[in-house]
Parts: sequence; structure tokens; C-alpha cells
Amino acid sequence: MSGTIDFTGKQVFITGATAGIGKETAVTLSRLGAKLILLGHLEGELTDTMSILDGKGHHAVVYDLSDLAGIEPMIRELYAIRGPFDGFVHCVGIRSRRPLAMITPVIMREVINTNLGSFLELVRCISRKGNFNPGLSIVGISSISSQRGHKGVTIYAASKAGLEAAGRCLAKELATKGIRVNTVVPAQIDTPAYREFLKISGENDESPDLLSRQYLGLGQPSDVANVIAFLLGGSSRFITGSAIPVDGGFLSS
Amino acid sequence: MDLTGHQILVTGVSSGIGREIALRIHELGARIIIADENEDSLQSICSFLGSRRITQYAFGIYNDREIEPNIKKITGEQGPFSGFVHCSGTGGARPLALTKPSFFQKMMNDNCLSFIETVRCITRKGSFLNGGSIVALSSVSSIRALKSKTAYCASKAALDAAVRCLAVELSLKRIRVNSILKGWVDSDMQKDFIRNTMDLDEGEDLRRQVLGIIRTTEVANLAAFLLSNATVTITGASVLLDGGYTI
Repeated sequence: MSGTIDFTGKQVFITGATAGIGKETAVTLSRLGAKLILLGHLEGELTDTMSILDGKGHHAVVYDLSDLAGIEPMIRELYAIRGPFDGFVHCVGIRSRRPLAMITPVIMREVINTNLGSFLELVRCISRKGNFNPGLSIVGISSISSQRGHKGVTIYAASKAGLEAAGRCLAKELATKGIRVNTVVPAQIDTPAYREFLKISGENDESPDLLSRQYLGLGQPSDVANVIAFLLGGSSRFITGSAIPVDGGFLSS
Repeated sequence: MDLTGHQILVTGVSSGIGREIALRIHELGARIIIADENEDSLQSICSFLGSRRITQYAFGIYNDREIEPNIKKITGEQGPFSGFVHCSGTGGARPLALTKPSFFQKMMNDNCLSFIETVRCITRKGSFLNGGSIVALSSVSSIRALKSKTAYCASKAALDAAVRCLAVELSLKRIRVNSILKGWVDSDMQKDFIRNTMDLDEGEDLRRQVLGIIRTTEVANLAAFLLSNATVTITGASVLLDGGYTI
């Protein structure tokens, strides 16, 4: 495998770039020379992330991805300004922890639309002829919840399992266009969302069950960002339709 | 296998598989409550079985505004359930370029969200017996890449993930929740969905099923087994019934 990954001259579109894994991915790719388009729904947080990127010429888009109908015109406008993409990383995701009795149709739709529906619609638009450069690589962020059952995360888990399945199908359907699609499957990662969950649930890192199966302990955003960078680059050209665990051993445990 | 004394809700009986499941579990002694939006399919089953141990309810089984009030009404009139089989769902091949948000949303709603909502309503206190069993009809599409079926595959994978989570959440009441991953079934062959697939040159897809086409009766037998007390410790499982398709 070649030494360093170089994204000079490449343009990568990242959703959910304002926090956690998305933010770390943006910083990592900027250090590797990529030109970035960052999408988030909170302008202030987007500006913060933009300010810590390496290099110049990056672009920010404020958009709420739960609005699926507006994605097509939004992407069209983006192409007019920025031209075709070499990479797309979908980091946006609503966590949603609720017991079954408190799940409502409105919440279900919001989580499914934001986490999964927007991914599908974005790939549909980005994979149109002329909108991508040869060798386009797409990465979605899944979760161990997609493959394992936990209480309180029914709709979140459903959205992530759907994302992985969509990744498999899109990889097969888009192969003739030279596009690869993969997902990464992180276990618990040290992000603001994780810290928030600890606060709300009253648990801590030493809680017996929480991190017991991911026997390498709590992951860092850079652990996931590095795998994403690898999947976006040419070294991984034979990897497609995969769901790659970045889970400290969780899924095998 | 004996389902005498069980009261089981079956949604989606307008499909060949749903109908076969309803007939089979009735034959095994269960009291069945069948529900679908299609009144003709309900009436056809009632005419076939007569009036003993069967009641029909016609309502929008995919409509989140109708699920809660109707499940409340049904459990109020019929008493608690010991089983629920979700046979309802939507098929549909569609290439990515034509897979617009409304198509995706309908697929997700019909195949996954309506299931979660129905489980939420039917497992309310007093509506579902401890030790009961829930079965969802899923598909090998949940775990394999199929061209031009992205939305469908995503919806079935979502369904199976929901099954795993619900299995954990409902385990306190010893309620089991499982899905059946079916391959190509003989009743599917009548649908446009399959004809379209064959036109897309995926005839080899059926050849992957090395033991050939699956009979609806076999799907019904597996559902009945999972509903019965012949098994009480299978839960959160996606049980393969695929003639070797996923090997």
C-alpha cells in the first residue's frame, strides 16, 4: 500500500461536518490537501469548523437534511458554483434515544429522513452524469446499532441498518459508473453526542456494560476519520459494498 | 405444533404469504384476527374459513393515523393477544435515478415504520400477553445487494434492526420478536415486482436459490413455529428461509 494519502486537487462533500466524526473528517481531509464542501444545519457551528481547516477555498452550505425534497435543487446549485465531486462523506445523523412507548410517527420520519433518506437522495443526485469525477468514492457513517439490538434505539438502529443496506445496493448499481460506496461502522466514539448521552443516562465510562464489548475502550473521532480517508482514496479501489467496523472489537465480541 | 388458545393478529393478508399464514395458524387452533386495507382479501379468507375463531378488521394498516385507534379498538373488543404476524409490505424495483424521496418514504413506511407503530400499540399494558411472540416478514434483500431495489432493501434491513431492538426492549415481558428472511417464494411470481426483476436480466438471481422456489406453505410453517410454544428462546433472530440464496 502506498505511504501517504494525497487529496490535492480533489473535492470532497461532507454532511454533518459540524461535530464529532464529521468535523474530524473535515479537518483530516483538509490536511491531506482536499478542497471541502461542508454541509450542516447550524450556521455558527459550520463557521467554527471552517475556521480550523487547513488550506483555502473551502465552501459551507447551511441546509437541514430532513427536507428531502429540497436536496435536488440544493445540489444543482452547489454544482453550478463548485463543479463535480471526487468524494462524498455522509456524517449527519440524529441519535434519538427513546423507549418504544415514546416513539411517534413524526419522530420516526424525522430520524429516517435525516439519517437515511437524505443519504439516498444525495447519492441519487451526486451520481448523475457530469456531477462526479472518475473514481468517486462515497462513505456513509453507520453504527454498531445497525447490527446489534439495544433498548431505546429502535428507530436509530433501523435508520443505520437501512443505510448499510442502501450502501450495498448503491455500490452494485453504481459500479458501472466507476463509483464505490461503503459504510463505516463505529462503536462508541468520544464525541459531544456521546458525552451528552452519558450526562442524560447518568452513566460513565466505567459503567460495566457500556464499553465492555469494545475491549479497546472508547474510540476517538480520528480513528474513524482515518478509515474514511482510506476509503475515499485510490488505495481502497477494490473495496465496495462493505460495512467496515471501526469498533474496538465490539462486533466480534 | 399447537396454537390452541392463542389469539394472533395477522396484518397484510392480501398477499399470498399473508393469506397462507392466516390459514395455517387457524388450522393449528389459533383464534385469528386478520387486518388489511383490502376488504376483499379479508372477506375471501372469512368465507373460506367460516365464522369460528376468526374476526376481520379493515383499516389503513400503513396509515399512522389509523393504526393506533384501530389497534386500541381491536384489543378492546378482542382482549389481549399472544401473537402478531406482520405480513404487510410493499415491493418494488426501481433504478436509483427514479428512486425519489416519496417512493423511499412509502417503502420505509409500509415495510418498517408501520411495523414499529403496530408493535408499539399492541404491546401496551394489557394488550399483549407475557411470553407472546411477534414475527415480521422480511427478506434476503435485507442482507444482500440487489440492483434497482435500494429502497426496498433498505426498508427490510431497517425492519430487521427494529426487530433486534424490540427483542431486547420487550424481553422483560418475555415477548419474542423475530423476522423471517425469505428468498423467492412461489406467490411472489405473480407480482409485477418479480416480472420487472426478470426483465432486468436477473434470472440468475433465482438460480442462486439452489433448492429452488420456496412454497408459501413453508413460510407459513416457519411463522407458526415461531409463534408457538415449541420455541420460547429464539428472539432478535432473522431466520433464513432462502433455499440457499445467501450461501
